[in-house]
Formats: sequence, structure tokens, C-alpha cells
Amino acid sequence: MTSTDTGQRRRLSDSRPVITDLMDEATILSVAEEAWISLVGEEEVLVPLPGDLPGDVLSSWVDVVGPWTGSVVLTTGRATAEALSRALLREAAPEVLELEDIEDAFGEIANVVGGSVKAALPGPSALSLPQVGHAPLVRNPGDVCRVDVLWRGEPLTISVQGALPPLPVSH
Amino acid sequence: MRALVIDDSRAMRRIVTSILTDLGYEVRDAGHGGEALEVLNEGWLPDLATIDWNMPVMDGLQFVSAVRSNPAWRRMTMMMVTSESEHTQIVRALAAGAHEYMIKPFTADAFRDKLALLGLLPQEVAL
Amino acid sequence: MSLTATSFDWVRELVRKESAIVLQPGKEYLVEARLLPIARQMGLPDVTKLVETVRTRPDPENTRRIVEALTTNETSWFRDGDPFTALTSTVLPALLSARGSNERLQIWSAASSSGQEPYTIAMLLDDALPNAASRVSITATDLSREMVQRTRAGKFSQLEVNRGLPAPMLVRHFQRSGTEWEVSPNLRRMVTASECNLAAPLPRMGPFDVVYLRNVLIYFDLPTKQSILRRVRDLMRPDGWLFLGAAETTLGVDDSWERVVIGRSSAYRPLKGA
Repeated sequence: MTSTDTGQRRRLSDSRPVITDLMDEATILSVAEEAWISLVGEEEVLVPLPGDLPGDVLSSWVDVVGPWTGSVVLTTGRATAEALSRALLREAAPEVLELEDIEDAFGEIANVVGGSVKAALPGPSALSLPQVGHAPLVRNPGDVCRVDVLWRGEPLTISVQGALPPLPVSH
Repeated sequence: MRALVIDDSRAMRRIVTSILTDLGYEVRDAGHGGEALEVLNEGWLPDLATIDWNMPVMDGLQFVSAVRSNPAWRRMTMMMVTSESEHTQIVRALAAGAHEYMIKPFTADAFRDKLALLGLLPQEVAL
Repeated sequence: MSLTATSFDWVRELVRKESAIVLQPGKEYLVEARLLPIARQMGLPDVTKLVETVRTRPDPENTRRIVEALTTNETSWFRDGDPFTALTSTVLPALLSARGSNERLQIWSAASSSGQEPYTIAMLLDDALPNAASRVSITATDLSREMVQRTRAGKFSQLEVNRGLPAPMLVRHFQRSGTEWEVSPNLRRMVTASECNLAAPLPRMGPFDVVYLRNVLIYFDLPTKQSILRRVRDLMRPDGWLFLGAAETTLGVDDSWERVVIGRSSAYRPLKGA
């Protein structure tokens, strides 16, 4: 369930909405499930359970710029990102995956998830090209909506996070 | 039949290419609109172009407009295949001259359904 | 608790028998993921409990839900579009000239599932008639309460609208609603959805000018097919039109129908005096 109406009300009182006014974890999970079914495989399941990310992680993200501005960030272990890329490429996967292949495939998943997230936000908004590397910093802990999932038993997080610091409190 | 697959993601190009080659298409690909125009200018005219929206150098919408401005390329069918999924974006793409619009994520079945709508699904696999 | 081997084997055997689809070993997680929502709806904690319940108290409705959850993908809108082409090319013009301008056309989408078929019909008629909402009423029925509720809501996921819905129709007839797409109020007014079991005596409905009864008869034995066709015929106008699935026919089942070829599809019309 999204709660866009709450967002409307909130924007009357302060100048911009935070993500939790606009969408919830269930929405992000359903968007991610659809992306997985079609990109990774029709029988691929995301289990909404938290897990401990390994030390060596990789993130891919797209930025959304509009009434709400921020990033849609996928983070998982490097080995899982590689497994995801293989699943995406299926029989087209080369024997040895180059970093470029992983960045490209993992980035495309962020692009697809980000596009669906953007569509559920108030518009008009623009979507950036995907980027891969270290996730952008969380600027405002109150402007984050995050789901933790397991894919083939491996942890992965999807974080929809604002790009702007919190507004100063005014009375 | 021929198809030109235009997407900046190699992974996505491979996915779309494999669906189309399974259907018997001869496929070429391009990483952005500018590369795709080069292919057309060589004289390699496809029956179908699948076009991502957000790409570096020349985006999908610019490519659609460029194709529309050249009468020699009129018989080519253009389908946007993109994660841009807002109502207004779809309207913009159709107004610019795209014939169909496939929103990512999609399944291979959904892709074949769209080709069937466009009359571009080879008969022998349509059964 | 995860699925036991016995439960998995039972589900495999059921699906093989009912649908001829074979679930390979190793697909336990798929069974788990698809059946868990059904277990939860029935107030059961897990899939093993669901299997136990259905095994000890067999119930055709629950059996069908399990098989469907494991075998059906998203329904397409215009794939197998011939019966829809026939509606606008042949059936609608014939009905418009046969009926008075104040007579409402009544169309029945039997086994309407999540609503793609009745809304496809509504879109076509809305595009073909200037005042479709006041000229046409579409009755959508399904055995499943959940499907009826989904049809009433008129909301479809991104994956569902990707299945064979032409983009120009999507933008003309749908609006975004969060991550879903919602059919326009205009079309929703044309469609009335209710529960209906085709294999039991039918409620008072109709009389219908057109009936879509696609991919339903294949699930039933011959005597049930015959009685369904007879009951459907009783709810149709004498000059009405019936569309069946591409692999279905009245031939050899019920000889009180006349087959009419329209383009690449066939319609069936009640035989006079039969």
C-alpha cells in the first residue's frame, strides 16, 4: 500500500516529502519481486528476511530527481552480484565474468527497480543512468525506506533513500 | 526478419537479442541512438527496432524522432523497451512516433505478446 | 517449517494429473512460494499443513486453487485476439442493426479471472461506440471470490499490463495507481463482477447477446460440459453469439449450436428450434 495522500498533507506543512510518506516496504518488495521474476528468472524468489552482508559488498543505484529526490540502491556481496549477473545473462553469460559485465548487469537491475519506484512517486521525475560502486551516503535517516531480502539464501538490501539532509526544525 | 536492439546495457541487449534470435530474427545491436543511426545509414534496415529510453550520447526519444524525420525508414516498427513507466512518458513516446511500448521488467512471454500485436511474431512460433 | 518430501510428492502428482505439467524435483521452493498465500488465506501456518488439510478433506475448489497457483501465468489481454477482432468486425455491427437504439447490449465474460477479458471487451466497445457506458453492460463472473474482488478493483500490476495490452490502449484507458495501473472509472462502470459456479445452477442473469466462455470447458468431463452449455444457452438471446477457447468446440458435445467462422476464429450461435 502506498500512502500518497499522507504525502500530500505533509507537503502542505513542510516543503518536501520524505520517502516513508510516499511508499512502504511492501511496495518496494513487490517492485523488486517483479524485477526478479522477469530479469533473473521466472521462478526466482526474494524472501523478505534480513541477513548479514559480507565485508566485500557492491552497490548499484539510480538517482531519481523530482518532487522527491534521492537514490534507489541495491547492495549485496560481490559474489552475489556476480551470481545475479550470471542469472541475468543466462546462456549468454561468458565463462569468466569481467567486472564490466557485473557492473552492467547489476546496474540494469537497479535501473529496472528504480524505474518502477519512480513511477510510484509523485512526478514528474527524471531517472539517471545506473551507477555501480560504493553506495551514496544516507543524508537523512528519516528519509529512507529499506527492505532486506534473501536471494538464493544470500542477503541483499534495497534502499530508497533521500539525497538531501533533513530540513531544519522550524517552530 | 531483422531487428535492431538499442540499449546501453549489454545485459539487456543480450536478453532481448536471445528472445529475438530464438524467434528466428537476424539481430544487430547498438549501445545508444547514435550508434543505431549509423547502422541505419549503412543501409541495414530492420523490421523492428527495440529502443531503451535513457542512454548516453543519444537517448531513445531522440532516436525515434530522428527515424521519423527520414521517410526512407518509415516501414520500420519501433518499440520502446524501457524502465520509464509513467503515463506521461508513454504518451510522449507514442506521440514522437513509437509504435509500441514495453515497460521493464518484462518476461519473454510478454515480449512475444507485444510482437504478436505488432504482427511481427513469425507464424510458426505463434502457434 | 519447510515442505516435507511427502507433501511435495503429493503436490507434484496432483499437478501432473490435473494439468499434465511436471514439477521437477528441486522445485520445492516454488511450491512453497506459490502455495503459502493460499495456506495463509485458509488460516493455516504453512504449506505442509495446507497439503495435509486438502489430502484429508478433498475439496475441488481447493484442489483447483493449488493447481492454478502452480500452473497459470499472467493472463494476456489481446493474445489470441481473434475472438475480440470478431466482436468489433462482425458481432457488434450485427447486434447494433438488430437491436433498438435504447436497448442495452448485454455481454457475459464467464470465468473472467482477474478481469483482463471483461476490460478488454469494455475497451474495445468504448473505442467503437460513442456512448458505450450507457449502451453496454458487461457481466464478469468467476468461481473465485478473490478474482471477483480483483476484477471489481480494476487494478493490474506492471507485469500484467505488459501482457499483450497495446500501449495506446493502456494510456487511453488506464491511470497509474502507485506501482499498479488502474482501469478508468468509465470502463469500471460498464463491468459488474460477481461470483458464479458454472458447474452449478446459474443465477438469474441476462439475457446475453454475447458470451465469452473461453478455456473453461476443457476442465470438465463430457456430461458437465453438456450441462454447462445447456445452462449458458438458456441465458442467451436466440440470436446471440458464444465464443469458446481456441481448443474448444460444441461439436460432439452439444448439437444445439451452429458454428460460424469469423475471420480466424469461430463463434457458436443457438440453432433455431434445437
